[in-house]
Amino acid sequence: MEEIRAYIESGVLELYVLGDMSAEEKLQVEAMAQKHPAIQAELSEIEIAMEMYADAQSVEPSPQLRDRVLNSLLTNLGDDRNLRTIQPRATAGERVVAMHPPATTSIFYKYAFAASVLLLCVSGLALSIMYKRLQNSEQQLVSLRLNEQKFTRQVSFLNEEIGVFRDPSFRFIQLKGMPKTPSSALTVAWSAKRKKVMVDLSSANLPAPGKDHQYQLWAIANGKPVDLGVFDKTTADSTDMKLMKSIDAAQAFAVTIEPRGGSVNPTTDQMVVLASL
Amino acid sequence: MPKNICLIYKLLSIILYIYTVLAKKHKLSLSEEELVLALQRHDKIGAEALYDMYSASLYGVIHRIVIDEATAEDVLQEVFVKIWHSAASYNTNKGRLFTWIVNIARNLAIDKIRSKDFKNQFKNQELENNVGYIDKHNSTEYKPELMGVRELVDKLRPEQKSILDLVYFKGYTHTEAADELGMPLGTIKTRLRMAIQQLRKHFN
Repeated sequence: MEEIRAYIESGVLELYVLGDMSAEEKLQVEAMAQKHPAIQAELSEIEIAMEMYADAQSVEPSPQLRDRVLNSLLTNLGDDRNLRTIQPRATAGERVVAMHPPATTSIFYKYAFAASVLLLCVSGLALSIMYKRLQNSEQQLVSLRLNEQKFTRQVSFLNEEIGVFRDPSFRFIQLKGMPKTPSSALTVAWSAKRKKVMVDLSSANLPAPGKDHQYQLWAIANGKPVDLGVFDKTTADSTDMKLMKSIDAAQAFAVTIEPRGGSVNPTTDQMVVLASL
Repeated sequence: MPKNICLIYKLLSIILYIYTVLAKKHKLSLSEEELVLALQRHDKIGAEALYDMYSASLYGVIHRIVIDEATAEDVLQEVFVKIWHSAASYNTNKGRLFTWIVNIARNLAIDKIRSKDFKNQFKNQELENNVGYIDKHNSTEYKPELMGVRELVDKLRPEQKSILDLVYFKGYTHTEAADELGMPLGTIKTRLRMAIQQLRKHFN
C-alpha cells in the first residue's frame, strides 16, 4: 500500500498524462494502472483535470475549418489503401458495442418541426378564411345599419306628416291656378295656432320654373305680401310635406316663380296659384 | 387571398432559414466508447463527432503553442489526419481518449514551432508575449462550470504555473524544465503534481 502511495506521489502519473516520458516508461505506467485500481483512479482524475483545463482554454476554430478537416479525412477514406489496411479488430473475445444512431432525438425534432410547420400553414390558412368572413359580416352590418337609419328617418317623418292630419288646428288650403295657368294647384297646410305652414309637394301641380328659378310661397297678411320661403318640386328627397317659414295670421296664400334664392317682393305676373281665405 | 398566401410563404421561408441555421449549429456528440469504435471503423460520423467534440479544446492548446492562426489551423488539420489514421492503435489501456489526442496535438504543434521553416517565418515574434495575445482571443464561449479557471490559473503559485505552462505549452520535458529553472528534478515533479492537484481541487 505504501508503495502505491509513494508511486502516486512521485509525480510520474502527471508526467504520463503530459506525455513527458519514453515509450517504455509509458508501458510501465499502463501496467501499474492495470494492476492497481488506486493508480488507475488517480490517473483518471489527473486526466479529467487536464481535459477540463484544456476545455477551459478552448478556442473555437473558424467555421470553414470544419469542412476542410473533414474533407481531408474523408477523401483519404476513399483511398483503398487506407480503407483496407486499417480494420477494426473485432475478434471473438472483444466486446462490440452497438452504435446507437445518435440522431434519434434530432429525428424526433425534425418530425416535430415538420408537424409544426404544417400546423402553422393550416392555421394561417384558417386565419385568412376567418378574416375574410369577418370582413364580409362587417360590411353587411354596416349596410344594415344604414338601412335602419333610413327607415327610422322615414318613420319619424311619416309620423310628423300624420300629425298634421290629426291636429285639428291645421287648415288645408287649396291654391287654385291663375288665368295663365288654369290647371295648376297646390295644397298648403296651415296652423295659425302653431304658426306652421307646410306645402304638400306630392299633390302639387305647378308649371316648370326653369333652371334658374324656384317657387316662392307668399302669405298676404294685412294687405302686404310676406315671404314664406322658396321650394322646389323636383327635389330628390322624399319629403312630401315641406315645412315653410312660420306665420300666425294670413288672408291669402300665393306662389310665384322667382329667380333662384327668392325675391324680397313677389313678381305678381309670375304668380301661378292663389287662394284667399 | 393571394396576399395572405404570399405572407404565409414568406413566413415559411423565414422559418426554413432559421431551421437551416440551427441545423448547422447542431453539434454531434457520442459517448467515448462509441466515438472510439466509429473512429476505428472509419465511420464518417466518427470524424464529425471527433471534430465537434474536441476541435475547440485542441485548437485552444495548439493556438497557444504556435500562436499564428493559419499555422494553428494547419496543425489542427494534421492532428485530425493523424488521429484518423492511428485510431486503431488507441485502446482504453492508454487512458482517456482526450489524453491521447491532446498529446498528439501538443507533439505536432511543438514539432511545428521547433521546425526550421517556422523559426524562420516567425523569427521576430517573441514567444513570451504569446499568452496575453491568446487570452484576448480566448474568451468567446461561456462555460459556467469552468468559470474562474483563468483566475485559478492566475492564482497558482507562479512557480507552479510556470512549470505547468513550460511543460504543457512550450513542450519542455521535465528534465529540460529543471535545467531551465535550475531546480532538482524531484522539485519539478512535485510542483507539477501540486499544480495539477490545484486544478483538480478546482474542478471537483
